[in-house]
Amino acid sequence: MNTTKSTWHHIRRSPFQSLTAILIMIITFFLLTTFLVISDGMSSVLKYFETKPEVTIYLKDGLDKNTMDNLQKELSNYPDVKEIKFISKEKALAIYKEQNKSNPMLTEMVTASILPASFEVSVSDPAVLEQIAQNFSAKGTVVDEIIYQKDMITSILKWTSIIRKSGIITVSVTAVISFLIISVIIGMKITNRKEEINISRLLGASKHYVKKSFLLEGIFYGFFGGLVGTAISYALFYKFSQQINTFFQPIIFIRDNYSLYGLIFLGEIILGIIIGYTASWFGSKRYIKF
Amino acid sequence: MKVTFNNVSKNFGIISALKDINFNVNKGEFIFIVGPSGAGKSTLLKLILGQIKPSSGSVTIDDIDLGQAKKNQIDKIRRKIGVIFQDYQLIADKSVEENISLALDIVNYPIQERQSRIDEVIKKVNLSSRRFLFPSQLSGGEMQRAALARALAIKPGLILADEPTGNLDIENSWNLIKLLKDINEQYNTSVIMTTHNLDIIDSLDKKVIKLRNGEMETKR
Repeated sequence: MNTTKSTWHHIRRSPFQSLTAILIMIITFFLLTTFLVISDGMSSVLKYFETKPEVTIYLKDGLDKNTMDNLQKELSNYPDVKEIKFISKEKALAIYKEQNKSNPMLTEMVTASILPASFEVSVSDPAVLEQIAQNFSAKGTVVDEIIYQKDMITSILKWTSIIRKSGIITVSVTAVISFLIISVIIGMKITNRKEEINISRLLGASKHYVKKSFLLEGIFYGFFGGLVGTAISYALFYKFSQQINTFFQPIIFIRDNYSLYGLIFLGEIILGIIIGYTASWFGSKRYIKF
Repeated sequence: MKVTFNNVSKNFGIISALKDINFNVNKGEFIFIVGPSGAGKSTLLKLILGQIKPSSGSVTIDDIDLGQAKKNQIDKIRRKIGVIFQDYQLIADKSVEENISLALDIVNYPIQERQSRIDEVIKKVNLSSRRFLFPSQLSGGEMQRAALARALAIKPGLILADEPTGNLDIENSWNLIKLLKDINEQYNTSVIMTTHNLDIIDSLDKKVIKLRNGEMETKR
């Protein structure tokens, strides 16, 4: 009777305990993968805004050309200004349509008249953005709204931090729960098979011999949980990646970074095996004392 | 295998299970241990298996003192002992064949030879038609023979048989004794057997140790 056969025998003999162990591992790795992918997406969002020091000045409707020329001239006088782009109402509509081309419902009702014209100012020194934002927010008669990325970055940073922290806490808690559940389940299985273990010991089986099928069982739970949990999470992201990326346009939130996803997949399976092994080792150490 | 009991006593609290036991079992020797219930026969076998340690004196197997031996040494010794337990000690959810296979796996018997060894011992104990059945599907006699097959499979240096004929009919009892005698003679395997059956003891000219209240009464 080899160890694999014996392990499979243990799993089949108590299917509900085995199912519980596998499910908790699947949940743990589903959450871990989900938080990792979201975290990666948030990093893309941050990077997008951090590498584009920009202020967008939305203009009030009905401004004449002269006023707009004066505003553009004033903007060009600031130091370190790299580019000033004027986005007319028509161009804003074209951009909007391009961004939402996959969703005709969103584009049908929109006309150029409801979209504001704007100046997109990019600079080489982000500090200049603050000056522009301060000075132009005082021009209430011509400026409708200023989107200043410092606030956005601060906000994204805050949210990224919250998501990461809650991810770490959630995954840690579920990992600890998985560890304890597997450990207890292995302990229960050992108790159920105490007679078999006793007989094996009398026939000369070493402690390691009787433990190894339980250790392999823990490894199986970790491996299978890691594999399935990660696969489910990837499948869901794959299914909804288009919708998620459309929502975050122009930022690519779910990247086609297969090497990263491959590494996460591999890492999680290894982590699963480590959790499963240590949990079953802990359980067997506690219960096999004869 | 050689077994030596040297002034062995075993106490369980205030109860003295064995008192000052001295005997030798030489390699290839066949001995009977007899005595009424509670005489200390099972305690004696447990001492040989290293399940319990003597309160005083020493039990040595092939010059290894079991009282001083490490756990892995005791495991190694057990792998050379074929045990037939009074209550069979077969694993309930394994078939006859799987029970034997487990014993072979424990002693690390060569994988490619396992199946033929299983076939051989199953045939020897006349259980070919029962090989895929579980212990609960066997009669008492069949379970005893399955336990015997498991003990023989590992080609032991010593066979410990605790009342092996207790649940067998006359014919099967004699068959078992004949089998143990053959193995003892053919392979020079030492045999220690506890029994109540005086006919069996009388039929074989072997050493007999009589126990009463934990003390050795006579040695033939």
